[in-house]
Amino acid sequence: MSQSLRPYLTAVRYSLEAALTLSNFSSQEVERHNRPEIEVGNTSAELLLQPMHVSRNENEQVLIETSVNSVRVNIKVKQADEIEQILVHKFTRFLEQRAESFHILRRTPIAGYSISFLITNKHTETMKTSKLVDFIIEFMEEVDKEISEMKLFLNARARFVAEAYLGEFVY
Amino acid sequence: MEDWRRIDIDAFDPESGRLTAADLIPPNQAQVTLQELQPKIQQIRSMSTSGDMISAIQLATSDPPYGADDSTKAQYLQAVLEALGQTRQADISNIIKQLSPKQHDVLIKYLYKGMSVPEGQKQGGILLSWFEKLTQEAGVNPVVHYLSDRRTV
Repeated sequence: MSQSLRPYLTAVRYSLEAALTLSNFSSQEVERHNRPEIEVGNTSAELLLQPMHVSRNENEQVLIETSVNSVRVNIKVKQADEIEQILVHKFTRFLEQRAESFHILRRTPIAGYSISFLITNKHTETMKTSKLVDFIIEFMEEVDKEISEMKLFLNARARFVAEAYLGEFVY
Repeated sequence: MEDWRRIDIDAFDPESGRLTAADLIPPNQAQVTLQELQPKIQQIRSMSTSGDMISAIQLATSDPPYGADDSTKAQYLQAVLEALGQTRQADISNIIKQLSPKQHDVLIKYLYKGMSVPEGQKQGGILLSWFEKLTQEAGVNPVVHYLSDRRTV
């Protein structure tokens, strides 16, 4: 792991550990409802806690928004050029379309971020909190590697296609 | 007219008991103006340029301007970020050891705040190493205090 990635992940880990202390909380507005309070903004500010920004640079950031019964983790994945922007968009979209089987994944990311996770008290009750934290950290580690690998493959493929196509015109 | 079924009528009811973010700020905070704060900002700047980082950070993290308006807070934050950025990597853990737990709580507020503004994001690496050293010293405690504290910097 590179030298500057480690403090970034440690900061995210500590922030998540502090944030993932969720409790069951019924809605104050609607009877017999129980909804993630972070998603139903403008109703009750007392249920929201301070948001936490962790950023490595302008392009790599994590925003952790906490409420009494839910946490939203927004990740901005590094996008250095246009190819990476397309790859990140396709990759996160692929995951989001399968959000149903992913439990903590949010179907759309928050504006300005690449991918969002929504963790509610249901998740922390049925899954181990430390493993959830581990998963998000591992995801952040892997996604950078994945994207740069895909970019390499894409470039290699483009070169091969161009050679095969332009080879026709060599006499 | 917009979709009237979606209008949140409870928001117009003065007796709905809803709280906004402004209601949650603790009362009885000393109002600080930019003029009153200017000498302190100057002092932090001069200490950090003369290399006395320990005193600069100690001064910055004691009695932060909770009761000031946003532009004053931004100016103060700027001075604190400069002081944090000018510290050598090797000195960081030494400085943190000399801070009290209360000062740790204030320091982490500035770290999170710094990482949320573009000026701080440019020097994200140094803020993250402050963060790492701070959690090595004080564990998860300052983060938890930060989460639930309504006094913002």
